[in-house]
Amino acid sequence: MVNPLILIHAVLAEIGLFAFLWVVVEMLNPSEIRIARAQVAALIGFACLYFAWLVGGFYYIEVYGLHVKPLIKASDAKWVHSIVMEVKEHIFLFLPILATLTTALLYKYDGELIDNRDARLSIVLLAGLIFLMGFSIAGMGAIISSGYRFALMTGMT
Amino acid sequence: MNSKAITRAAAVTIALIAAATLGSELSASFKQLLSNIGGHHWIGKSVLSVVFFGLLYLVFAKVSDEKFALRDTGVLIGTVLISGLAILSFYVLHA
Repeated sequence: MVNPLILIHAVLAEIGLFAFLWVVVEMLNPSEIRIARAQVAALIGFACLYFAWLVGGFYYIEVYGLHVKPLIKASDAKWVHSIVMEVKEHIFLFLPILATLTTALLYKYDGELIDNRDARLSIVLLAGLIFLMGFSIAGMGAIISSGYRFALMTGMT
Repeated sequence: MNSKAITRAAAVTIALIAAATLGSELSASFKQLLSNIGGHHWIGKSVLSVVFFGLLYLVFAKVSDEKFALRDTGVLIGTVLISGLAILSFYVLHA
């Protein structure tokens, strides 16, 4: 059975990533109402990514490290841990920092974003980077799940 | 809030996360030091990333003017890409 923590981690992270995609869309042609919506979206994204960090971290230490990692490392797919999981768990740490910065810039510049091209473009680039990096990380999560299934299947034969 | 300072703090924190990641794989004593912070080296890196982000912001806020430019964001994005590639390359080469 899939551990509910991994489901909560994935759902929170994906809501957070789509919230930052929402920020990109609102900031492409900003108005006062669009900036206000982008601020709400960024706050949702910020909160979801921080909760995903906490839940994913707890799962990684208490479940993955004890039950999943040993199985994967003992299988022919050990690269799934030694490359994919190692990269995922460390690159993920960039996202909360980038989410904090993007949200802070949105609130700092607020109505000025209509005329301040540098701040507006920065927010678009950063929110887009969060979305692209986040979904690359989600793809790594899918590879890790497949590696676990592979390890379970080969362990049973 | 000082926009230039928080952007610089983010860039340096991300570079430090990459350095700590590689350093902890190359030095067992450094990995143990990180583990001592929260019981696991990943928790150690997580806690340090938040602490350094806050501290670096305070330091940069003292020395940076507030004039924020797209170039600051470009430097940050470059740091993210280089740090990410460094981590990926390291684990591919050492797997």
